[in-house]
Amino acid sequence: MTKKLTKGNYAIAQAAINAGCDGYFGYPVTPQNEIGEYMSKKMPKLKRAYISAESEIGAINMVLGACSTGKKAMTSSSSMAIALMQEALCYIAADELPAVLVSVMRAGPALGYIYPAQGDYNQAVTGGGNGDYRIIVLAPSTVQECIDLTYKSFYLAQKYRNPVTLLADGLLGQMMEPVEFKDYPYPEIPNDDWALTGAKNREPRAIYSLEAKEEVLEKRVNLLFEKYKVIEENEQDFEEYLTQDAELIVTCFGSLARNVKSAVNECRKQGLKVGMLRPITLYPFPVYKIQELAKKTKKILVIEMNMGQMVRDVQLAVNGKVPVKFFGKAVGKWIEVETICEKIKKEIGNG
Amino acid sequence: MQTETRNENLIFKIPKSLKEGTKFPFCPGCDHGVAVRLVAEILDEFNLREKTIAVSSIGCSVMLYDWVNTDCVEAPHGRALAAATGVKRTNTDKCVFTYQGDGDFASIGLAESMHAALRGENITAICINNTTYGMTGGQAGPTTIMGQVTTTSPTGRNKEYYGYPIKIAEQIALCEGTAFAARGSLDTVLNIRKTKELIKKAFEVQLQGLGFGFVEILSSCPTNWRMTPQESHERIRKELFSVYPLGVYKE
Repeated sequence: MTKKLTKGNYAIAQAAINAGCDGYFGYPVTPQNEIGEYMSKKMPKLKRAYISAESEIGAINMVLGACSTGKKAMTSSSSMAIALMQEALCYIAADELPAVLVSVMRAGPALGYIYPAQGDYNQAVTGGGNGDYRIIVLAPSTVQECIDLTYKSFYLAQKYRNPVTLLADGLLGQMMEPVEFKDYPYPEIPNDDWALTGAKNREPRAIYSLEAKEEVLEKRVNLLFEKYKVIEENEQDFEEYLTQDAELIVTCFGSLARNVKSAVNECRKQGLKVGMLRPITLYPFPVYKIQELAKKTKKILVIEMNMGQMVRDVQLAVNGKVPVKFFGKAVGKWIEVETICEKIKKEIGNG
Repeated sequence: MQTETRNENLIFKIPKSLKEGTKFPFCPGCDHGVAVRLVAEILDEFNLREKTIAVSSIGCSVMLYDWVNTDCVEAPHGRALAAATGVKRTNTDKCVFTYQGDGDFASIGLAESMHAALRGENITAICINNTTYGMTGGQAGPTTIMGQVTTTSPTGRNKEYYGYPIKIAEQIALCEGTAFAARGSLDTVLNIRKTKELIKKAFEVQLQGLGFGFVEILSSCPTNWRMTPQESHERIRKELFSVYPLGVYKE
């Protein structure tokens, strides 16, 4: 298959179409507008649903409705606009609906600006809804991964009947890279035992989060967490790079890993034993791999384009076994390879 | 002498689109139960039960799925018509309706409601207007009339603090995508029968693919109005009809 030079946002949109997305519902916000624009051209031709929603709140609730009927549905948005979707995301998690959300981060807090940043790790991973629930979060670092992980987002959403966020950033959304569009590689998951399709020849079904009996509500939450445990056991995903003998492991996620990898290569040339670990699933966080690495490395350096968000999950996983250091900044020029090299050398020098 | 009650002899039956043994949890004298039953009767008349997906809202209407004998999804507060849009657009062969209160439809959910009407969604929306937030204990809502005393308008609604109430059916009628918009009441047997006809038309336009079908139903809330059921219906006639006139606003 030939490679095609494709912009990240278009790659995500086409991958969603290939994954069989039946409905796209969205509202514009930069830097992810190309997704909705692309969908508005393609979806009607395929006789699939496309709606320019009245707001992000409208869009995510349209996704809720479509998903309740077993259809594959998605929305895409960014940062402060994802903030508007938190209530419905929480309902979708409680209702166990297979929704896909694409979050293309910009710089915050609040309106901030359209500069790329990674400040929405907490928003994606811990969420802003109420009560106990989890959302699967996948973080691509290349345009090819934007495609592959969009496929995986639809698959995991169906497999676990759980919302999945593809957490990209403005850099990935706007950059072009040669990519390959393989066919959607995952099996379709039957949904005929729960989807709302009309109560023909069966009892009516209801999808709701209200539960007036406290023991039933408690049981429902416990069942959710049994599911999350299965997800945590089965779906931890990461990229490991030159960690075998590494005395320092740089941990990062998303597009920043590109620069970190270059910095690791640079440092290796200079004889420094340094490696990289890139969590691909931010939830479930790859705790087992980090625990394993914490036994053999001397130090972990977390680098993020934010003021320190994923670092907390790394600290929890490492649990004090080795020192965990952090370097990051909220916005501006993507942290450069030279800067990362300097930080690596400084941390190795510090023992 | 013992008499046997045979189902085929009954002249007043539970509609098939209501769950068997349904016991409405509404307060005594509340009109919600009548409204839900009317919707169920219309679903029966059009033989829609097996192809209907209902969307419930937040408020006294939330447990719609406990009463209607169809598939049903609960929407977050105010978002019923967004959720219903998602259902309908990905399932164009299904009958989709929302059942909402005035707070859900016309306050927190006004954008979702009005845009569904503007898009001309082939959806039927039923909105119960009881001029208060019933579930939470009778606070002032978007339809609370001028002068009305509620738990959050203790000296009565005035324009200085609260502004003016929304006339929902009239507003929805202004939307070009609306195929049918009307206001009914359940205060008398005659009005119940008239309201049933309005509901029927609101479903008919959906089935014909003509656009958004809407009925606002004036409904009593004796508990929060601090009135008897009879006084409540009297209030609807005396105080609400002049503010919210019954009739068809668009067809």
